[in-house]
Amino acid sequence: MSGDGECTGGDLLTRALAGERAAFGAVVRAHQRLVFSLALRMLADRHAAEDLAQEVFLQLYRNLSTVSSESHLVFWLRKVTMHRAIDRLRRAPPLERAAPEEATAAASETEPGDPLLERRLRSLVAELPPAGRAVVLLRFQEDLDPVEIARTLKMPLNTVKSHLRRSLAQLRERMTETADVLT
Amino acid sequence: MSEDMEQSDLERGLRSALRAVDPGEGFAPRVLARIAVEPAQVERPARAGAMVSWLAFGLAASVVLAVLLAHEWQVRRLEQGREARRQLIEALRVTDEKLDLTYRAVNSREGAATAEHSGA
Repeated sequence: MSGDGECTGGDLLTRALAGERAAFGAVVRAHQRLVFSLALRMLADRHAAEDLAQEVFLQLYRNLSTVSSESHLVFWLRKVTMHRAIDRLRRAPPLERAAPEEATAAASETEPGDPLLERRLRSLVAELPPAGRAVVLLRFQEDLDPVEIARTLKMPLNTVKSHLRRSLAQLRERMTETADVLT
Repeated sequence: MSEDMEQSDLERGLRSALRAVDPGEGFAPRVLARIAVEPAQVERPARAGAMVSWLAFGLAASVVLAVLLAHEWQVRRLEQGREARRQLIEALRVTDEKLDLTYRAVNSREGAATAEHSGA
């Protein structure tokens, strides 16, 4: 980000819209964590996630003129990433999908917490159905409330709430099973 | 209470486990490289969109022009028909007058001849 540090997101967007490649590069760097993480946790495959994240930014480059502000950009990136990921999961036959462990191994970065427990949680999230997984990721990775999740996924609010409830119940149940096996 | 505790533990665990991951330093250059090698594909939608709108505009303009020309042609035909009708009526009127004059002339000559005959 050197050289772009003094620029606000809005400035970068304006410059990128004017055709400045370096400014668009800075926009990518500012948001690559968000897009890549969502893609990785949705697809559970590092290469597929990288490919999807690149496609999202290519689509952004093509549609830059439709993005009106920094907050709109973040909303747009979350929405496009999740929809593309869900589409890809629907299209890809289950056999071609990578094992969920691939994502969980790739995701570990040094942070306080129980690495084994976190790895297990990531693995269980990767086993959730795509819609439930998307809701859980937006809730706990992006810290969105159910209303924002409903807007992002174009889903009725009650559907979001029921996905969240069901997914948490499933995760809790599986975590309890894991704990029982370990003790 | 214990379920609430478990729930909040689970949510805390999820927040920690699902923290964002960086794709690495090379990601942005790879995106820019893809943009650089696919400029035609990137810019085509805008150009194609402009071409489609120009084509649509051209087509619409042609249709409007064709309708106007057809209307103009129809108006001219009606005017020509009216003019021909007016000329025909005028010709008939002139013919009628001539016939009337001829009839009168013939009648007056016949009248004079009859009077001469009876006088003689």
